[in-house]
Amino acid sequence: MKKLATGLVVAVPVALFCLACYFVFSAPPEPPFDWRLHMSQADHDAIVATLNHLFTRAAYTVTWAIQLGYVAWLFVRWQSQKRSATN
Amino acid sequence: MKKLALGLYVLVTVALLGWAYYQAVYVAPLDAMQGEISRIFYYHVPHGMLFFLFFAISLIGSVGYLATRHNHADRAQMFDAWALAGAEVGVVYCTVILVTGPLWGRRAWGMWWTWDARLTTTLVLWLIYVSYLLLRRFAAGSEMQTLAAVLNIFGAIDAPIVYMSNRWFRTQHPAPVFGGGPDSGLKDPAMLAAWGWNIAAWLAWGLLILALRYRVERKQQKIAAEEAEFALNS
Repeated sequence: MKKLATGLVVAVPVALFCLACYFVFSAPPEPPFDWRLHMSQADHDAIVATLNHLFTRAAYTVTWAIQLGYVAWLFVRWQSQKRSATN
Repeated sequence: MKKLALGLYVLVTVALLGWAYYQAVYVAPLDAMQGEISRIFYYHVPHGMLFFLFFAISLIGSVGYLATRHNHADRAQMFDAWALAGAEVGVVYCTVILVTGPLWGRRAWGMWWTWDARLTTTLVLWLIYVSYLLLRRFAAGSEMQTLAAVLNIFGAIDAPIVYMSNRWFRTQHPAPVFGGGPDSGLKDPAMLAAWGWNIAAWLAWGLLILALRYRVERKQQKIAAEEAEFALNS
């Protein structure tokens, strides 16, 4: 049960970090500098809105990955302290 | 009673974080120029303001350790635990800044990083405190605590330079939102409220993990003292 709890506490930030990476790397390519030659204003705005949305999600997700990663590290350390105290 | 108070504090903090997220994502209006990417600031800036607080706690801890290490051993250890906890939580907050900033910069400037004064001094501050934590991790004994305290005091000199960097120099980094002159500050009350809630929520969260880290370190100090006593007696 304790191992399961530790695994979950560690898995959540790792999963969040992977999700943040997915948001960034799954983003469509940015419109080229001369985008007016290749696409309409509406298409350009749609790509920019998608990129902004994905990068904002990535920033929020990676914040939680870092914060919960630190909490997970604290939890693991606290568990090992408890183990060494009983020994 | 202590457990109940801690449980209540955790509940309030989680509720605050949820409410602050709701304010940032669903209530605050979009910036007219930047669009949705401006919402990153509701997480980025509170972390930027709060890492100064945690590094200040760490600095006070280190000064306290150096002042009391000869006369009050237990108080010195307490100060040292605060110094370590403050540095660690400060590094966590500073890491968030250094990761979310480039995500915003990529969309707003078209590049992940630029060597301007604000970004560079923040990276240097992060590196100083990471080296402080590495020193504590890989060295041992009271000499290590003294060296770490001195490094912490020298490292803290960079903190006011980081704060003033986009006031002293012309930087790519945006001008300060608060305290940056007569034109600074947010005009929209919904935006201001979202900032306020996020600052309060991340402050509550930071103080919680700071207190937890302090307790873990104090316990570690007690275990180390018991082990040393056991080794002397055996």
